[in-house]
Parts: sequence; structure tokens; C-alpha cells
Amino acid sequence: MADGGRTLFCRVITPERTVFDGEVDRVVATIADGEIGVLPDHAPLIATTKIGTVRIKRDEEYLVFATSDGFFKVSENLAQVLVEEAVPAGEIDVDEAGNRVEEANRELEGLTVEDEEGYRKRRAEIERRVRMGENLVHVARKYGEA
Amino acid sequence: MASLRDLKRQIQSVKNIAKVTDALQAVSAVKFRKAEARVKRARPYAENLEEMMRAIAAKATSKSPMLVGREVRTVAVATLTADRGLCGGFNAQAVRRTMEFRSQQSADLLQVVSGRKGIAFFRFRRIGLAESYSGFSDNPDYEKAREIGRRLTQLFQEEEADAVYLIYNRFVNPAVQRPVLMRLLPIAPEDAEEEREREEPGFGAEAPFEFIPDADEILNELVPRYVETMVFQALLESAAGEHGARMTAMKNATDNANEMVDDLTLQMNKARQAQITREISEIAAGAEALSAG
Repeated sequence: MADGGRTLFCRVITPERTVFDGEVDRVVATIADGEIGVLPDHAPLIATTKIGTVRIKRDEEYLVFATSDGFFKVSENLAQVLVEEAVPAGEIDVDEAGNRVEEANRELEGLTVEDEEGYRKRRAEIERRVRMGENLVHVARKYGEA
Repeated sequence: MASLRDLKRQIQSVKNIAKVTDALQAVSAVKFRKAEARVKRARPYAENLEEMMRAIAAKATSKSPMLVGREVRTVAVATLTADRGLCGGFNAQAVRRTMEFRSQQSADLLQVVSGRKGIAFFRFRRIGLAESYSGFSDNPDYEKAREIGRRLTQLFQEEEADAVYLIYNRFVNPAVQRPVLMRLLPIAPEDAEEEREREEPGFGAEAPFEFIPDADEILNELVPRYVETMVFQALLESAAGEHGARMTAMKNATDNANEMVDDLTLQMNKARQAQITREISEIAAGAEALSAG
């Protein structure tokens, strides 16, 4: 692990369960204005994350998760990713993710404007599902084979 | 005294009931263990969100009504019950707690309910439902929690309700579920103040967090998620409680049925004995009559 320094722990947590928990060298998460890398002894931090990836470097290899939006919290050498969905790149079902995009897009087309406010919310929600589906496909293609 | 044949039939039917309740108990036991494990697995997420909520609430400068509240004219209360019965007082105690809470409020009330049993109860009492959900009480997923949570947050944001409460059964152990009341919105300012008092400057205070983008914006994202997560936790607790309550109720039912079979068997034996005695005395009397003649 980090030479002589303190070690960093990382947890990837969803509402249902803890997806990853262990000692790591470095964590890179997608946050509001780009990406942030965290090494041991990082200053305490709370950030919102966007749909994207969380990449964990451990023993010269990268573990990649496709993640939905959520939060990233670092304190006392514990980096915690709190997202609704986190799927390891190698376990993504590309067909299923593709179906999710299609289904959401169909819903988007069928969406009718009843009241302005409700419409905007519904639309934002469905667009979020499209982005997450696309993210899954993208991550699977880019990192899935490694 | 009931006839021998009646007793036999009764014993058979009680035995059949015992078989059914015993099977239900076994099924509920398995489901309970699964549900209990889910509650435990889901805890780290909820605990982290709560901790973040506290850290941010203390630092955010905005006086968002979500945090500090506003004058309360309407109170929304969401009650979580089960879809099915056969689980002892599980549903009754959640609705009883709700009725008690409603009677204490001077503000207008909006009732939200999840679970068919709760829906049926409020319909019967002719209490209007602002929103109702059903079909997932024994195995809730996050999607449902999100749906309910979003709606509750929306009620508050659109000022249809000025405070949002949640009532559900917290499971203590398989035999005990306790109905609890928690306020979801506004996010307990009392607690935030307590927190601030405890945080003596420079002594034992945790390192201040850096916020990206900033505390207020994170708060906007965090509040709806926090409500969803609290609803999800409550749904999971309630599901575990439901299975636990059903397991206990079915165990009691099975025990009672078995006891009843024992009683009835005793009665049946007595009846049979009485019948034999009667037959013998009839035969004896007949023989007596013959020899006398």
C-alpha cells in the first residue's frame, strides 16, 4: 500500500447494500465539475457526484464502477461513495442497459404536458434514466473487457 | 355432549388448520430472516446520509424551510402498513398510533398510506387519502421508496403540507414491533441545535468538511435523498416486522390448534368410553330382563 503513509479505505454503498469495501491506493470519482482523485490523508470532503464512474486503484489494477448520481464523502482516510446504483464494469449487462435506454426514450416520446411543473420533473427523471443507461453501456464498452 | 362423529370431524379440521398455520409460520420465518438481513445491509447508506445531513445542516447558510420549517397549517402523515393480515396486531398498532397522532393535531391533516390493510382501514373510517401505495409491503424495493419519498418532499415543497411525519412499525425482535413516529420534514431543527451546542469549538469537534460545490447546493440534493432513504429504511423495517409478526402469530395459532386437538381428543375418548359403558349397561339390562323372565 502507500509507502509508509497512512492507508486509505474505500466503500461504495447503495441503498440496498455495500458493493465495495476495502483498502485502496486511490479513488477517482465523477463530481459536479469534473473528476476528483483522492489519496491517503485527503482533507475531509463532501461532494455531490454525477452519473459517471468511480475508479478505484488497488495493487496496480483499477476497479471501475458505473455509478448513478449521489454523494462522495471523505473523512479520516475513509472515502465513501453513496449512490443509488453502482455496477462493476465487468458485470454490466449491456443488452439490459440498452433496453433501459430504449424504454426510457419511448416514455420520453409518449410524455404529455399536463402541467408545466409536473412535466419538467417527469422529463428530468426520465432523462436521468436515459443518461444512467447510456453510462452503463459506455462503461461496459470502455472498461468491461479489462 | 357432542357425538363421537362430530368430535372426530372437529379434530380433523383443527389438525388441518394447524398444518396451514405451521406452513405459514415456516414461510414467514424464511422471509423474516431475509428481510432482517436486508435491513442490516441497508443501514450503512442510511447512517451516512444522516451523518452528512447533520454536518451540512450545521454549515448551510440558507434558511430553507426544509431545514428550519415554517408556520404549520397542514400536517401530512404517512402510515406504513402491510398488504396482508394474519400478522397479529401489526397493522392495528400502526393505524392506532396514526389515529392517536391525528387526534393530537390542531392543524389540517393529509393522510398518506402504504399497504392494503391501512388503505382499507382509512377508507372504512372515511378518512380521505392524499396518496396510497400498495403491492410491495413484504418485499419493498428502493424504487417504491423513491416514489413515496419524492411525493412527500413534493407535498412539502409545494406547500400542501408544512410538516411531514412518518409512522411505521420498527422491528425490535421477531415477536416485538414497536410503532414509531418520526418527522421527515422539516429536518429536525431541534436536533441541529443540540448538535451545535455539543460541538465545543476546538475541542472534540470533527474536522470541518470541504463542500463541493457548496453546502447549500449539496443540501438541495441531499434533502430529497434523505427523505427517500428514511422511507426506504422504514419500509424495510416494516417488512421485517410484518414477517416477524406473522411468524409469531402463526406460531401461536399452531400451538393453540395443537392444544385444541389434545382437548378434543380427550373429549372424544370420554365420549367413546361413555358410549361403551352405555352399550354394556344396555346389554346387561337386557340379559337381566331375559333371565328374570
